[in-house]
Amino acid sequence: MNGSLVRHMIAKDFRLHRELIIISTVVGFIGLAVVQFRGLTGLFGIIGFFTTLIVLACILPQASVVMDRKGQHLTFLMSLPISATQYTTAKMLSALGMFLIPWLTLVIGALSIILGSDIPDGLIPIALVLITLPLVGFCLMTSVALVGESEGWTVGVMIAINFAYSLCWPLIARNNELRSGFGSSTPVWSPTILTLLGSEFAVIAAALAITYYLQSRKRDFV
Amino acid sequence: MMDPVIRMEGVRKKYRYFALDNIALELQPGQIMGLIGPNGAGKSTTIRILMGLVHQDQGDVRVLGYRMPAEQIAAKWEIGFASEDMRLYGAMTVRWHMDFIRSIYPRWDEKYAQLLLKRFGLNPEQRIKGLSHGQRVKSTLLLVLARCPRLLVLDEPTTGLDPVARHEILRELSAVMKDEGRSILFSSHNTHDVEQISDQITFIDRGRIIDSMDKEAYLDRWRRLRLEVPLGVELPALPGIIDIRQDGRLAVATANEFVPDLANAYENTGARIQSIENMTLEEIFVANVEHSREEVGA
Repeated sequence: MNGSLVRHMIAKDFRLHRELIIISTVVGFIGLAVVQFRGLTGLFGIIGFFTTLIVLACILPQASVVMDRKGQHLTFLMSLPISATQYTTAKMLSALGMFLIPWLTLVIGALSIILGSDIPDGLIPIALVLITLPLVGFCLMTSVALVGESEGWTVGVMIAINFAYSLCWPLIARNNELRSGFGSSTPVWSPTILTLLGSEFAVIAAALAITYYLQSRKRDFV
Repeated sequence: MMDPVIRMEGVRKKYRYFALDNIALELQPGQIMGLIGPNGAGKSTTIRILMGLVHQDQGDVRVLGYRMPAEQIAAKWEIGFASEDMRLYGAMTVRWHMDFIRSIYPRWDEKYAQLLLKRFGLNPEQRIKGLSHGQRVKSTLLLVLARCPRLLVLDEPTTGLDPVARHEILRELSAVMKDEGRSILFSSHNTHDVEQISDQITFIDRGRIIDSMDKEAYLDRWRRLRLEVPLGVELPALPGIIDIRQDGRLAVATANEFVPDLANAYENTGARIQSIENMTLEEIFVANVEHSREEVGA
């Protein structure tokens, strides 16, 4: 019965935020479509594509987690036969699901465009590293929103993460080892690329595990 | 005797600027308990501990036989909880919320829910954000009542409502009690609302239960005696009198254990009884809180 309640909570979140998921997927695809044009238009497409993912990573934790508390829906939800740990499980799964649907769709779209066009396949590894950054940011913001119970903390982390994006892009672009693979006709999975991807997924796993641990230790939930 | 639906014993919870101290409560099946206290008295914290939303530092809490917070999931299947700070999703309709709750609770009574929609004058297709405060409270109560809980826990449900909406809600709560297996714990700082529907009343102030008994017992035991005191006569402190206020030759004594002998005892000192008045629950509450604070301060 309780597993079913977690499923109800997840389904509820999907119903509440489905417009956001659809809009972000459509806008991301528009960005991808524009990427195929050369020159400045293509650059706008890249910017639009990444902006969609970054904005979604910021909005979803606010809409799904922070608003439960700020909008005083949390008392309503916690009056249902659910524990704090189950609420956390439902929130983490629904938030991840709602982000992963547009994210995975757009990742597949981006890879299809690279593979199906004259864009060098050597860009695939670095594209994956850059596309995964908003996923990392999203997981960190969701974790802080759940554990910190405060809009202020979430906004603070959002600002820090957006600042980190601005640092990561030029650092990656200036790395000679990474740049050398950009023009290759086949993807080059260098140790640096694998380390970067591994680090991103390690941060995601750590953020989710720490969130779960801290939430399960809370004594006052509402 | 049946097991109580709520039993709290020696419950303590400490915050930086507030503490619940040694809370003990007991609610029998089929009873309505009004939990009355001023703002910040600890009503909501007590109720949150009862619901397992806040963990007590010490003490034993059992609701419907379940240990809280450990068995809160099992308990919450049978509890309908609504609080003044509870909000539904503004962008969604009343119907959406009804469908959500119905999908969770197998005991959801759709016929009763439809009846409540009519009684409360609610349009199920209306979004929550378009409803008045009273309609929102009624929507929340509908969601709680139609799941047919054995125990209703209501934290300040009538706060901010107009008299008509308050009356509608109190009438519905009274109707719920026709099913004798149900019980209600109802917190408020509005003594008038509590007086209308409660069987049992508990006063809480500054994190402590200061008194708890049947409503009728309160109304029977508490009296205000108006006295005329001749010059040179000093009113004695009698057992059962918790407060004496004197202004010149007129004095008012408040009794929390009134017996006719008290009046005789004053008359024997030379004082003249002008009147012996019944007290309203609000007057009893205020006198009780003031007396308790004086005792703590002494």
